[in-house]
Amino acid sequence: MEIVILLAETIANTLLSIGRIALLLIPVLILIEIARHYQFIEKITGKVKGLLQFLSLPQEAAVPLLAGIFFGIVLGSALIIEYAREGYLKKRDLLLIGIFLSISHSIVEDTFILAVFGANPFVLLATRTILAVIITRIAASLIDHFAIEKA
Amino acid sequence: MSSLAEPVKRGLKKSLQLLLLLTKIIVPVSCLVAILDHYGIIGSVAGFFSPAMALFGLPGEATIALLLSFFVNFYAALGVITTMSLNSQQITILAVMIGICHELPIETVVCSYTGLRIPVSATLRLLTALAAGLILNLIYNLVQGG
Repeated sequence: MEIVILLAETIANTLLSIGRIALLLIPVLILIEIARHYQFIEKITGKVKGLLQFLSLPQEAAVPLLAGIFFGIVLGSALIIEYAREGYLKKRDLLLIGIFLSISHSIVEDTFILAVFGANPFVLLATRTILAVIITRIAASLIDHFAIEKA
Repeated sequence: MSSLAEPVKRGLKKSLQLLLLLTKIIVPVSCLVAILDHYGIIGSVAGFFSPAMALFGLPGEATIALLLSFFVNFYAALGVITTMSLNSQQITILAVMIGICHELPIETVVCSYTGLRIPVSATLRLLTALAAGLILNLIYNLVQGG
């Protein structure tokens, strides 16, 4: 009997938090779809020149990188495969995008959901982004260093 | 306005799908955790890992959330978080760690299309998450201590 009450309470609490998530998640996902509809990514690619330069990535990396950061790793990777097939990006660039996205992807959705549970969204965003930038930069230096040594 | 109807509909459909998925994962996970907790199993796991979790300023129970996040997904970890009582610092640190390292069995495969090998990306994300937890806890303690 005790277990039944415990389970009923747990289910009620859980459904309540899912309800709270729904209130935020539905508008956010609609906004994401609207942003995609207006080709938001294509419009802001020019604004990340500095970041791309710092990461030593070519301008062509902007769309797959931003798509992954904002819309998720699956879309990011799909675009990466597409770009790779068309030969826009070198193997090194693909690897660096992969490293960046593995640490920081779908930041809007993830951050919102975790914030609903009480996490500080600014700390969340800043930590993930800063770490992704630093680690990708270090990886770029390492890859280039060893590539030059090999050549 | 008619051009907006399509993305709004898509967003609505996606959020309902995601909420359904969320419910299907979080409800059973939190029930399982509640039962394990009732029989004291969570307590003993938590006790074992509490020295390690103290490095991140987290209680031992957080181990369960981290393990579920790494091997299952983000949402399973949330199922545990709903059963725990954490302060805002602890929730933020745990959320950062979960945000960096989750759903490894699926995401490392997706990421491998970029040429990033699966064990490399799993290790990278695990270490990054642990480092982030350590650093954030240090920063929080510094800010609050000083």
